[in-house]
Amino acid sequence: MPRTGVFVCWCGSNIGGVIDCPETAAAASGFPGVAFSTDYKYMCSEPGQNMVIQAIREHRLDRAVVASCSPRLHEETFRKTLVRAGLNPYMLEMANIREHCTWVHGADIQQARIKAVDLVRRAVAKANRLEPLFESEISVTRRCLVIGGGVAGIQAALDVADAGHEVILVEREPTIGGNMVKLDKTFPTLDCSACISTPKMVAAATHPNIKLYTYAEIEKLAGYVGNFEVTIRQKARYVDHEKCTGCGTCWEKCPTRVPSEFDAGIGQRTAIYIPFPQAVPNKPVIDREHCRYFATGKCEICAKLCPTGAVDYGQEDLVLTEKVGAVVAATGFGLFDWSRVYGEYGYGQYPDVVTGMQFERLVNAAGPTGGKLLRPSDGATPRTVVFIKCVGSRDEAKGRRYCSRICCMYTAKHALQVLEKVPGASVFVFYMDVRTAGKGYEEFYQRAVNNGTVYVRGRVSKIYQDGERLVVRGVDTLLGRPVEVDADMVVLATAVEPGSGAAETARILGINTDQDGFFQEAHPKLRPVETHTRGVFLAGACQAPKDIPDTVAQASGAAAKVAGLLSSKWLSTNPMIATVNEALCTGCFLCVPVCSYRALEPKKITERLPGHPPREREVAGVNTGLCQGCGACNVACRAGAIEVRGFTNEQLLAEVDALCQ
Amino acid sequence: MKQAVEELRRQAAGLLKEERVKCVIGWTQGTDVARAVPFFATSVRQAARLTWTPFCVNNLSKYLLNHRYDNTPLAVVVKGCDSRGINRLVQDRQFVRERVVVLGLPCGGMLDREKVLRVVDPGAALQEVEDRGSEYMLRTDKGEYGFEKREALLSKCLECEHNIPVVSDLMIGPQVPSPAGSGIDRFAGVRELETRDPAVRSTFWDRHFARCLRCYACRNVCPACNCKECSFEQAVPGWQQGACWLSKRNHPGQNYLFHLIRMFHVAGRCIDCGECARVCPVNIPLRELYRKVMKDAEELFAMKTPGTDPEEVPLLSTYRTDDPEEFS
Repeated sequence: MPRTGVFVCWCGSNIGGVIDCPETAAAASGFPGVAFSTDYKYMCSEPGQNMVIQAIREHRLDRAVVASCSPRLHEETFRKTLVRAGLNPYMLEMANIREHCTWVHGADIQQARIKAVDLVRRAVAKANRLEPLFESEISVTRRCLVIGGGVAGIQAALDVADAGHEVILVEREPTIGGNMVKLDKTFPTLDCSACISTPKMVAAATHPNIKLYTYAEIEKLAGYVGNFEVTIRQKARYVDHEKCTGCGTCWEKCPTRVPSEFDAGIGQRTAIYIPFPQAVPNKPVIDREHCRYFATGKCEICAKLCPTGAVDYGQEDLVLTEKVGAVVAATGFGLFDWSRVYGEYGYGQYPDVVTGMQFERLVNAAGPTGGKLLRPSDGATPRTVVFIKCVGSRDEAKGRRYCSRICCMYTAKHALQVLEKVPGASVFVFYMDVRTAGKGYEEFYQRAVNNGTVYVRGRVSKIYQDGERLVVRGVDTLLGRPVEVDADMVVLATAVEPGSGAAETARILGINTDQDGFFQEAHPKLRPVETHTRGVFLAGACQAPKDIPDTVAQASGAAAKVAGLLSSKWLSTNPMIATVNEALCTGCFLCVPVCSYRALEPKKITERLPGHPPREREVAGVNTGLCQGCGACNVACRAGAIEVRGFTNEQLLAEVDALCQ
Repeated sequence: MKQAVEELRRQAAGLLKEERVKCVIGWTQGTDVARAVPFFATSVRQAARLTWTPFCVNNLSKYLLNHRYDNTPLAVVVKGCDSRGINRLVQDRQFVRERVVVLGLPCGGMLDREKVLRVVDPGAALQEVEDRGSEYMLRTDKGEYGFEKREALLSKCLECEHNIPVVSDLMIGPQVPSPAGSGIDRFAGVRELETRDPAVRSTFWDRHFARCLRCYACRNVCPACNCKECSFEQAVPGWQQGACWLSKRNHPGQNYLFHLIRMFHVAGRCIDCGECARVCPVNIPLRELYRKVMKDAEELFAMKTPGTDPEEVPLLSTYRTDDPEEFS
């Protein structure tokens, strides 16, 4: 017979202010298996925990129910308490009578009291059927993979590398740097973006602990926390970077010109190119799609001119594998393609309607105009510039429903830049709300207003070309009247969205995406850089739209988590995982495809049954390192052969039974 | 059908004689004129007793399960609908395809025994059956009888999807036209139930399930029910017996759970051979229950009838990265 102890916590007035905890404890003393029950003001406090330990010893309890807050908060705490009392830590069941009861039923005290007793009865019913569980240990490969070489990836890589662990940094573009190096200045300090990001790029590339793969993508991630094996595809550059000195002769002489991705389509690049002069590595790649040699078989100018003979048209993709113990996903963001849906802004037909990123390149000293603000259509200096915010953000009908967070601030920055570069310019900003939460942000916005930016609260309904000017029609909802501005240039603050290929990356890593396609963190508040897949962490805008300070902060957070994980050679595994009853398993393996952690695999067993010769057959086996205990296989198994330890059918049915009494 | 019977016997005898198989699972004439029963021919002499008539309604693929863990090579005779059962067992990894020789019979439809017995004396001896396309001609020692297929076939045959087996190693007998009526809605029965008011529908099933005897014939005959030990028969702790949600108690609520759980267990896997409804001693229209899932799977996910394609993955085990996720 189990000897269960029930400990009802007041949580100060959080629980004790609504229900009568002594009464709940008294009710619990009558439940089957309960040998002792009591209540206390703060069960998680030092005296509270000591009380639990003392009760376990005095009353020879072999399991405990703590009726308090969410297990997310204090399950770990009380498990440790049980260990101190000499019990198996998994002989604990929590009844959440705070979040599930007093916090939500404070208005109806009578019902709350009944529900609290029911929740305790449920926990006791389960506790009576708990079995001791034991953790096992797995070894840890003390290396880290960082996917994405933007500011998030660079920061995470540098921090992990500084902690003394080897880092594999993989970037799919020919250079690291990501979106930050494309920017001209950063809000709210207006310091030069390149001046603070390029040194970090160099630091990452030269760090002795960082192994850099650019122009490479991850293809597959196998294994589990501490023991991942990643397959990386190094795309063919058609330039041997061992031989190349980065002299630049090839890209100066290349005859092909295509729109530059780095310049957001505003400028041009050659077919053999480096994305921008400060690229890391500062060596070119050939864009096979546009290269004249690959299209026609003739040209070879770059190969002829190369002083070191580094151009190699025969180069092929290289597939290599690396072993790592942790993964940081820092794949960044993409920008909403407004030209597909915003017909009222001209579907991208007017050359002087540009996006915020294109504007960054137009005002960037390293951009195609050398930092002079010239409009794309005729190269004239725009005197009147209109900014439209929330293009695709907060627009469920055409774009995304969330707020992209960065647009308010960068639009204020752009407004200031126009006013600074074009003296006497008029700047109008059409906005829905101005959101400036952040250190120094509101002050920065006020600066833009005080310097003469006209903020118009309202949406723009139409933009059309009238000769050389763009007519912007909208409404000022504060004045309640239509407005019309003759503009030279219009800048759209397009929504931040998950980077292209984010869904594929999530699939490869075995992590979830949220409803908007961003990577899902394990808990929005308490585990913001972890994912539900142990050993995979998140950094930067791949998790949600973020500005640079938040991105860097999260990257360092992820790095701290990785450093913590890699700090020891051994890792204990969660024992609350799936187990297979091999006698019941028919070996249909329908559980295998439903497992998002790839934790199930066929396994051969020899079965001995009375009256039969021993026979070999295949059943499902659980990889204890990979299994996260989600229970998907449990549901998929018709034969009922799979159970999750700590959540067995017997335990769950006992809980349901107790609740239905 | 005389030609097919002769070829069947010859092929079976050949397989047994060459010892390519230990046993040929087929049918033989039953105790009355309108009955054929499963027959396990293990010798050349027994092979001569195999038969093929419009009463060979049993799905024989299920019998393979009796041999899933030994190494005996077997042959099994299948109709079009039964052949999907072979794929079911192979996909569920309960049987190695190479271990079985599938003898496929193009099928002109199965006659409804009750309708035949209304006309023919049960004691008559069946001498020959002729498939004339739109009708069957039964020659017995007590006379000849013609049966219009449109009138006398089982309803599942009028909805036939594959009258030629989808999987077979040897096709036996001539090709015959499908008995499926032209312009027949395969899911008419399901659609009719769907149009009913939920309360009416609920009463409909309540009344049927209340009559269930819990004999498990539906489960025992089903090729999709191939667990080693059925969840309804697993040993459960004493306190759960009779009180838990998975019990063997014959009680309307428990029967409801039994049938719904079985429905979910065969969801996306039921091959629609119709055996469950045929063997039910109290005539619960089980087929319509499982076909509701089949119809939804077809409409929502363009799933073919399970078992059609040996390579397919059952609906509920399918994960496609390009799934539109309309519900999110």
